[in-house]
Amino acid sequence: MLNFFQLIIIYAGIYALMAIGQNCITGNTGMLSLCHAGFFCIGSYSTAIICKVVGLPFWFSLPVAAIVSGFVGFLIGVPTLRLKGDYLCIATLGLGEIIKNIATNVNPVGMMAVPRAELFGYQFSSRNKFTFILLVWFFVLIAYLLFRQLAHSRLGRAMTAVREDEVAAQANGINVTKYKIGAFILGAAVGGTAGCFATAYTLTVQPGSYTFMVSVMVLCMVVLGGMGNLAGVILGAFIIEFISYFPQLVGLSSVIPAQASQIIYGLVLVIMMICRPQGILGRDRYRYGDGRKTRRSAAVKKEA
Amino acid sequence: MTTLIQYLQYLVNGITLGSIYALIALGYTMVYGILKFINFAHGDILMVGAYTGLLTYTALLGESTNPVWMLTAFFIAMLVSMAFCAALGMFIERVAYKPLRNASRLAPLLSAIGVSFILSNGAAWIFGAQSRRFPYPFDNTPIVIAGLSITPHQILTVTVSVIMMVVLTLFVNKSRMGKAMRATSIDQATSELMGIDVNKIISMTFAIGSALAAVGGILSSFDFRVYASMGTMTGLKAFVAAVIGGIGNIQGAMLGGLILGVLESIGAPLLGIPSALRDTIAFAALIIILLVKPDGILGKNEREKV
Amino acid sequence: MKRIVVMLLVFLAAVTGVFANGGAESTAASSDTYKIGFIGPLTGDNANYGIRCSNATRLAIEELNAAGGVDGKTFELIAENSLGTVDGAIAAYEKLVYSDGVCAIIGPVFTSPALAVAQRCYEDGIVMISPSATHKDVTSVGDYVYRTVPSDSLQSEVAAHYFYEVLGYRNIACLYAMNDYSQGLATGVEDVFTQLGGTVSAMETCLVGDKDFRTQLGAIRNTDAEAIYIPNYTVEDAQILEQAAQLGMNLPFLSSDGFSDPEIYNLAPDYTDGVIYVGPAQAEASTILEDFTAAYSAAYNGDLPDSFATNSYDAMYILAAAIDRAGSADREAINAEVKATDDFSGANGIINFAPNGDMVASQGVYKVEGTTPVYVGSFQVVDGHIVQVD
Repeated sequence: MLNFFQLIIIYAGIYALMAIGQNCITGNTGMLSLCHAGFFCIGSYSTAIICKVVGLPFWFSLPVAAIVSGFVGFLIGVPTLRLKGDYLCIATLGLGEIIKNIATNVNPVGMMAVPRAELFGYQFSSRNKFTFILLVWFFVLIAYLLFRQLAHSRLGRAMTAVREDEVAAQANGINVTKYKIGAFILGAAVGGTAGCFATAYTLTVQPGSYTFMVSVMVLCMVVLGGMGNLAGVILGAFIIEFISYFPQLVGLSSVIPAQASQIIYGLVLVIMMICRPQGILGRDRYRYGDGRKTRRSAAVKKEA
Repeated sequence: MTTLIQYLQYLVNGITLGSIYALIALGYTMVYGILKFINFAHGDILMVGAYTGLLTYTALLGESTNPVWMLTAFFIAMLVSMAFCAALGMFIERVAYKPLRNASRLAPLLSAIGVSFILSNGAAWIFGAQSRRFPYPFDNTPIVIAGLSITPHQILTVTVSVIMMVVLTLFVNKSRMGKAMRATSIDQATSELMGIDVNKIISMTFAIGSALAAVGGILSSFDFRVYASMGTMTGLKAFVAAVIGGIGNIQGAMLGGLILGVLESIGAPLLGIPSALRDTIAFAALIIILLVKPDGILGKNEREKV
Repeated sequence: MKRIVVMLLVFLAAVTGVFANGGAESTAASSDTYKIGFIGPLTGDNANYGIRCSNATRLAIEELNAAGGVDGKTFELIAENSLGTVDGAIAAYEKLVYSDGVCAIIGPVFTSPALAVAQRCYEDGIVMISPSATHKDVTSVGDYVYRTVPSDSLQSEVAAHYFYEVLGYRNIACLYAMNDYSQGLATGVEDVFTQLGGTVSAMETCLVGDKDFRTQLGAIRNTDAEAIYIPNYTVEDAQILEQAAQLGMNLPFLSSDGFSDPEIYNLAPDYTDGVIYVGPAQAEASTILEDFTAAYSAAYNGDLPDSFATNSYDAMYILAAAIDRAGSADREAINAEVKATDDFSGANGIINFAPNGDMVASQGVYKVEGTTPVYVGSFQVVDGHIVQVD
């Protein structure tokens, strides 16, 4: 059971990285994106290809995954800047699906038996979960610190300004385009590194794993934890992973029907959202999230 | 010549597929128009509609093979399923979305995903994981004209979709309720001040959207079979269709559905690439359309300004 | 905020650190039962395969227990949901092996999860028998990995030879899904069929879960193929047959063991006539398959088993026999005994394992008449030619 709890913590760490990336795009800059599954996919394949085909150590795949995902984030960011709100959401969702669809068409089986991550001769094996937890959560901590610094830096404040009011931000001399693309690149890069750890743990990549549900769940983690709150999104990742594996953790999964545990999962999501719509550690609503406010101000504008 | 017929055939198939997408897209678009949120559970309502229709139809039909009764039973089943889904849609709205109406727009999205999990797994639990066939209530022998084959089912699908859309357009544009609906979608607070019962309008929107999803579910189940997760991908595609057309716009949803259906059917052979890449074509088209028209083809260009 | 994160990390470190050697939890030598794990998709799109396989395994265990188990010990099935993903399968594996301490695993049902789990089984030294992962790489992971389903290279070799030599086709088309199972078979048949001198005039693809195959069928209609090979799962096969009929195509259809699912006769009853498919062989003068089908149908509300369920049933019996011979829950001993399986007579005929863990068996050919599959015979490819075994 504790072994299984460790597994949940590893998965939570991997998803926490993704959620941090998503938070940078959605929570900090206010753009609704749904393609973290795509970045995850790119990261996973980077590790698989670099470790297995090229034969380089795992550590090389981290920057490669970050760069490649960041570049894809850039590619997505540039054209989609014209889009707002849900149009952006659906365009990014489309991109995520395209990435998965292409991966499936290249090789539907994916890759297997990827070599493990190694550090000074020590192998991060899935059997010794404790060191793997340290590895993943060390990077979560780094990402947390980096993004916390970022939020308080000029860059982060500019992003917040873009989120709160694009026009006002522009009027104040903030290059909105630059910061939007920047947010996409950063968010995608972190999402990509999450993929590296997933591959390092399961040692297998399968195109079928990167469905849009993954992106949706990552977004859920951010919303559940509290948008824009870094500690919150990490907590959100942990909670979502915990609920989804809870039946297996306590041994309930082999007793009750499999569908029942999925139904419970759905119920928990609904109840948690109703009890705490702003997220567990969320404080206020953001401009993007409050449709009524924007519409009212638009109406005011029209009247004037 | 052969290729011309071939492409006409793709077009016919694409229009059938597209009208189903359009029917489902209407539900997304209506809800979005009023509440500005993506109802992720819409695809699962489609599935519930298909199951309800199938069960009612088999129960009504019994052992009968009378063609007139088969068709009648089918339409009764469709009405029952529409009513059931309308009630279900209203119930879900009341329980899972209404408490979140004043929260951030992403909160109901999460709640919707929860509802979607509950519905699809509940159905899998009750009905099992196997797919079921919806028997044709009529003879589905294709009519072949010069190598072009059209099945009665395709004709039915397109006809029913067109009727539904015309009725819906008339309802929204001409009736009092429709006017109230439009008012609510433009400005909720002001509508409330004008004496419109916004809660009732929202319930009504969910009811109509869900009833349309039920029709879409039944019509698609001849082709797609009935199973617990049938709504997921179809729902996603329908949502894409709604966005292509300009979300919130009823004509846009119809147009978007048709465009998506035809693209999926004709795209791969036209470009000469494997058919397994048809999703890539559909989504790439979506992105290109959005880049050219950021608010969808028929969407109004409403920039957020202060 | 910072404090919360630091506290969370400290908490995690403490919890996991204290039990850092949790990975060393040993085989639960529980006194009176042998625990058998099952991994498969029990929810989601492919749940029906997982559910049927787990049902068949459960049925085998109930029968074994009713017969007194082995050495006075009974079997206990612990079925876990893989959700059809690698993550889910790994989680299920961890739960079964480390929390429950099972002595062997049946599953996973699909190739990609099977590859991930096989790797772990090989490292942890625990026997895994997959009833349905057909990809050639599955058993190449190493020792401890077996399967009771023919690898796609075995099945496609027999299929291509049968199509070419017995049915006399020289030009066929394939319509397959981009997944491990379907693609493995289609490309396998393509290779062997062209080596034999035949032509594959179209290789059309789709995705699992696709509903509309008219585009692909239209493209095939434009070729001069004599028959269409559709190595897909039941639902896709049903759609393809029906839509082909709607397009007015009357080419003969050939298929694979995915077609052996009786659900096809509910989904497309009007279009199955004349389909020829390659599936598991049936032992002559054996009633095991009939008995199993009857028992399964009685136990699960008239549902009928597909070939993967039958494979799971055989896998459980092979495992039980191995455990009986090993006389303990020792994973090493069980592995040795599974490997030593010799002419096991199961529902799918006589089964042996090759040194790499692949199943060695003849392939059966079936021809559907109306909605009843008729057994044509068991075949093997010997020296490049197809031979009917019985």
